[in-house]
Amino acid sequence: MTRKLDTSKVDSSRGDRARAKAYFREFVPGMVGYVVVLVVVLIFGDLDGTSPWRFVWAILPVLPLLLVLRAVSRHLRRIDEFQQHQLLQGLGIGFAVAMIAAVTVGFLGIAGLDMRLAGWIIFAAGMVGWVVGAAGAAAIKR
Amino acid sequence: MKNNLRSLREARGWTQGALADELDVSRQTVNALETGRYDPSLPLAFRISRLFGQPLESIFDPEEALRA
Repeated sequence: MTRKLDTSKVDSSRGDRARAKAYFREFVPGMVGYVVVLVVVLIFGDLDGTSPWRFVWAILPVLPLLLVLRAVSRHLRRIDEFQQHQLLQGLGIGFAVAMIAAVTVGFLGIAGLDMRLAGWIIFAAGMVGWVVGAAGAAAIKR
Repeated sequence: MKNNLRSLREARGWTQGALADELDVSRQTVNALETGRYDPSLPLAFRISRLFGQPLESIFDPEEALRA
């Protein structure tokens, strides 16, 4: 009877939409801030220069990301128990993958391999692990 | 754990979204409960029980869980 309604284009409840809206409202300023600061740093930061201030410039884009961290943290508290389980399982797998990547990159560095992009490799591995872990959590029966 | 949440919901003419709002969870969670992909916590199970005015054991099949 109501299955027809359940396959409608609106794939959410009022609560879902309210939570998504709140997350979007908190997440976007951090990402916009990150992009703006990143552009400013790339233009004015002189990261290839010799000034010691370049290190301060280099970490400036991290500051707006703290807003993203806050948004994710608040979203985690806002969502329900099933969604928390899925999100945390994804984060857990992402963390494990990032740690393995860090150890791997660390040993390769000790062995003399030039790993200038080590941080980004670890970041990418963690993100991929998070996405795959979350997808796996959604598919597995609990 | 098997349950008859879908039939209870349909008997009331509710969509999954409407039930999700009644229980203050996401539609995704209602779907996972109905398809048996997720077993609810005790507080959520009691909310479901209270909402439909039925005891837990008439909504959820504990034998299925014990066999698993």
